[in-house]
Amino acid sequence: METQITLSPNADTLNVAISGELDSLSAPRLYDQLSQAIKDQPNIKKIVFECQNLSYISSAGAGILLLSLDNFGHRGIDFELRKVRPEVYNILDLLGLTKVMSVSNA
Amino acid sequence: MPKYILDFAATPDNLPVIRYFVQEHLKAHLSDPVRVNQLTVATEELCANSIVHGNHSDPSQKLRLELRIEKQRLHIYLYDPAPPYDLHKYPFPPKLLRKDTNRPGGLGIYLIRQLMDKITVRRRGQQSVYHLVKNLA
Repeated sequence: METQITLSPNADTLNVAISGELDSLSAPRLYDQLSQAIKDQPNIKKIVFECQNLSYISSAGAGILLLSLDNFGHRGIDFELRKVRPEVYNILDLLGLTKVMSVSNA
Repeated sequence: MPKYILDFAATPDNLPVIRYFVQEHLKAHLSDPVRVNQLTVATEELCANSIVHGNHSDPSQKLRLELRIEKQRLHIYLYDPAPPYDLHKYPFPPKLLRKDTNRPGGLGIYLIRQLMDKITVRRRGQQSVYHLVKNLA
């Protein structure tokens, strides 16, 4: 399944819709797109990931979320993952991501 | 005793192939999608480590993945030409960000250890044989 990442800025919030699978092949693309968006719009205060169509995440995908939180969180940017499917939530929870960022179930 | 085999080259491009192989076969035996996903993730992480770290993503290196379901247990075997690595030597739990690289490290191996009941590796002939076991009862 092809991974699609769509970024939609809205005032000081960046909405990021991810569909498909976030793995070692697609995760670097997410990081590059986030980096570019934050560079282009330095007023961003929050990144909201819409995850209802995210069907799979590997450690590489989770690692990119952690790396993004570490690098962009220093700038005062909050992270939120919304509508996360149970399979993906379970992996994020096992890795401790649900303790360091806001993650809500589908 | 169902047994499924996948032969693949050591390139990250094959990770989705491995994922779909595991998902499709386990779906036939397990009804809980969270459990199917956990076992898929553990298998993919094992293969990813062997492909990237053991075989340096060299597509000339060939690996074999074997799934067996016996007596309510899933056995995952990975036959790998690279020297074995010790899945137990990494920090547990992992550091979310490694101080030396400032990147996440050890997350995949952490997941394998969290999700599987038994993990062994041994050298047999010219291959390392990883054996992961999960009780399905």
